[in-house]
Amino acid sequence: MTMGRREFVRAGLLATGAAATGLAARNGAEPAGDGKNPSGEGPPETVALTPDGQLVAVREAKPAPAPREDWTEIRRGIPGRKWVMVFDLAKCDGCGACVEACSKGHFTPADREWIRLYKMQDSPELAPYWFPKPCFHCDNPPCCKVCPVGATFKRDDGIVLVDNTRCIGCRFCMAACPYSSRVFNWTRPTNPTGPGHVATGPGTGLPRRIGTTEKCDLCESRLRESQLPHCVAVCDMNAVYIGDEHEDAVTNAAGETVQFSKLLRDRAGYRHLEDLGTHPRVFYLPPVGRRYAAPGEPGAETGDVNAHAGRKP
Amino acid sequence: MSWTSREAPKKSPYAQQVETEMLATLEPLGRGGRLWIAALLAVCGFALFAYITQLVNGLRVTGMRDYVSWGLYMTNFVFFIGISHAGTLISAILRVTHAEWRRPITRMAEAITVFALIVGASMIIIDMGRPDRLLNVIVHGRLSSPILWDVCSIMTYLTGSFIYLYVAMIPDMPMLVRAAEKRGRPRWLVQLYQALALGYKGTPAQERFLNRALGAMAVIIIPVAVSVHTVVSWIFGMTVRPGWHSTIFGPYFVIGAIFSGTAALITAMALFRRAYHLERYLTDDHFRKLATLLVALTLLYTYFTLSEYLTTWYGGLATEARLINLLMGASPYGAAFWFWAVTGLFIPLGLLIMPSKRSLGAIITASVLINIGMWLKRFLILVPTLETPYVPAQAAGVTPGYTPTWVEWAITAGGFAAFMLLYTLFSRLFPIVSIWETAEDAGTTEKVPAAPPRGRFARPTFVPIRALLLAAGLGALAIGGATRVHAQAAGPGDARVALTKEVRDDEAQLVATVTADGRPLKGARISFSVKRMFSPMTLGEEVTGSDGRASVPFPSTLPGGAKGELAVLAEIVSPDRLAGMRGEAITAGARTVRGEPTSAGPPRALWSSRAPVGVIAAISFLLAVVWSTYVFVVRQLVLIKRDGEEKRISYVR
Repeated sequence: MTMGRREFVRAGLLATGAAATGLAARNGAEPAGDGKNPSGEGPPETVALTPDGQLVAVREAKPAPAPREDWTEIRRGIPGRKWVMVFDLAKCDGCGACVEACSKGHFTPADREWIRLYKMQDSPELAPYWFPKPCFHCDNPPCCKVCPVGATFKRDDGIVLVDNTRCIGCRFCMAACPYSSRVFNWTRPTNPTGPGHVATGPGTGLPRRIGTTEKCDLCESRLRESQLPHCVAVCDMNAVYIGDEHEDAVTNAAGETVQFSKLLRDRAGYRHLEDLGTHPRVFYLPPVGRRYAAPGEPGAETGDVNAHAGRKP
Repeated sequence: MSWTSREAPKKSPYAQQVETEMLATLEPLGRGGRLWIAALLAVCGFALFAYITQLVNGLRVTGMRDYVSWGLYMTNFVFFIGISHAGTLISAILRVTHAEWRRPITRMAEAITVFALIVGASMIIIDMGRPDRLLNVIVHGRLSSPILWDVCSIMTYLTGSFIYLYVAMIPDMPMLVRAAEKRGRPRWLVQLYQALALGYKGTPAQERFLNRALGAMAVIIIPVAVSVHTVVSWIFGMTVRPGWHSTIFGPYFVIGAIFSGTAALITAMALFRRAYHLERYLTDDHFRKLATLLVALTLLYTYFTLSEYLTTWYGGLATEARLINLLMGASPYGAAFWFWAVTGLFIPLGLLIMPSKRSLGAIITASVLINIGMWLKRFLILVPTLETPYVPAQAAGVTPGYTPTWVEWAITAGGFAAFMLLYTLFSRLFPIVSIWETAEDAGTTEKVPAAPPRGRFARPTFVPIRALLLAAGLGALAIGGATRVHAQAAGPGDARVALTKEVRDDEAQLVATVTADGRPLKGARISFSVKRMFSPMTLGEEVTGSDGRASVPFPSTLPGGAKGELAVLAEIVSPDRLAGMRGEAITAGARTVRGEPTSAGPPRALWSSRAPVGVIAAISFLLAVVWSTYVFVVRQLVLIKRDGEEKRISYVR
């Protein structure tokens, strides 16, 4: 039914690569022929697809310069959607698989996870609980308020993204976010390489750029392909749900789709620090009738889940 | 050569003396002076090296990290913007209130403003992760961001301070031209003075224009200065973080700025007095008068500090209590805080409170202590708050902390050195005490595009599915029936599941009819569900009766498509041989939530790309008032020049 992730990515790479070779097109590219270099000298040619659907021959040995990214489309959001996320704290056992999968999927360095797992205990009398925390994609986002250049923005589908080609690195958004959801490229980042394996470009968070902020993007490029975000898909406890508020439905890793509003009503769902008025799009179900050991209890997962996220066998 | 050199206006002996002595300060530097400048240049050079290191390696070379994401640079920024208030206060307020004793110190004060602003603004650029994208602030600037407010007000203040400093220097310029020519100074310098003189020679008309310009600037620069430190405080105050989100932050910062600015001015006066032997102009009386002001400001700043932290501590909100513990408890920050309270507030107060005990040494000591203390205080406002976020970092196994690196210390030292260097060079080119003034004293949301997917950010495939659903739903509506069988699944042995919506006794129901080999199938377990993006959402399970029918209530409260259309499914769970067989239908009558997307674009909101009208109107109005005053002042300068040219013509004739 849908284009596979691989094909999608590859087609995308081809298209962006070709877009970048507007230069290459001027530079001796012509309608695809037999693959040989007509001039008979220089490197062989390969075929690329231009955005307007034409096949052109491009010299292989001339890697296209990094394309100038066009963020206009990505700023609008996925049409008709309004994403919500739910974490069922009663089911979360603190294994940290979400942290690990997210870091792997987004190639985030060890100290800069987009989702973090907190061992929470609001006061000594109160119950401890595991608290996985991605970006909350607030509807009244403090980060977007303070950004001087609109590099971080809120889309119609609810996702808050960062345009790292526009970010000036002032870090005001990091200071303004009450949830510490944002991280910074303090050093020159190492970007994953290898064509065909990694989607890059607007909305993917890749390539990372030095001196810019980044954060959880709700796996926007996966949602576009109707795939569950990494943290949702990997959760063996089925504790994480994602869905479209317009459909009033959320789905977990097991493919269980439940009515979002009913889930919140029946389970007394809440949002973290509701009184800050930020209107997060990420909801929590309280750890009532917890099925797994809480932090500090015997049998609980131990160790620094954020650093290595080791899973129990 | 020029008319100015031939002018020899009559002057009082005192005025003559002021002129001679002040022009003497512009003589070439001695050995000590050259060493001083060389030392400052060396520090600046080292800072430049540190900055290049930072540009090459990124901000990783600083001690800043994801939790404490602002550090020394931001501290320096707030500190320098703070001391920039020295100029405005002394010069403008005293000028407006006709305090005559201000005359010898106005220029010294105004110069602090200009150079402190330059260094302060540079600190922000140094702090940026991408200084190469600085112009984005103009190209993509968002008026809802306090940073834009800062850019607007600091640029306005810097421009205004330049104009103000310059306007008050015009009457000195002809004297400088004469002196430079007489002493054979370089030709470019003479030309510079001449250009800056605007042909001023003190005609009544020129004096009138000059006083008009100075009066307008003195009045307008006061609100501009207040606005600058207010919006600097709002970088912190507009966030919801404990320790920052305080309603008194604007006035607290403004008072702090005037406080540290006055102390900086006293320190500068002491240094210049010693270096240029200005005892005659910068008298003990000047120091005492400023000390009185400093006492008042120390008390005021103590009062604001008490108001701020006492209410926070007494209220005891959990997050704020964490901050207060860190800031005033047993931590390095606590030690620094109390060190500041003692050396930055109480000792200066003790030194200055008794008028009879205000020796010059005491006043200068107090000022230096206040300057050190205020830098420390800015640091303490910034860093401890960043270390106590709402969601405790420790719970994620992270201990936030901040230790500035050599790069940050080098650049901080460079900032101070650059400030002193600019100030020194200024005092080499222009008399640091205003000659004429001192002499006078003696006298979108877009519509979903219908075009096919383009490029790699193609619309996902679920969109066509939705379009299909929509089309089917519209078809159902067109027929007018609330019910329409959309699909029937055929299974082994010609079994079928038909799904319909029926209304019985005012209650809508989803009815699945199972037939096998043409006959109704009894006892089949049917699961009803609604199609959703990732997987179907179950409504319930029912067993077919003898008529082969099973039903569940129609989910009329669930949101459907734009027209309330809902894709429903019925799937056989048992018997096993038929399990998985489905019937699907598009039914009408669900809730409509989505509606048609509007093309109005994003809403006007603080977070949006479209700022609220009030924000735009307020900023535009304020900028218009201030800049039109600047235009008025520049117009006076043009009039001065024109008048000078007319007089020159008549003189030549």
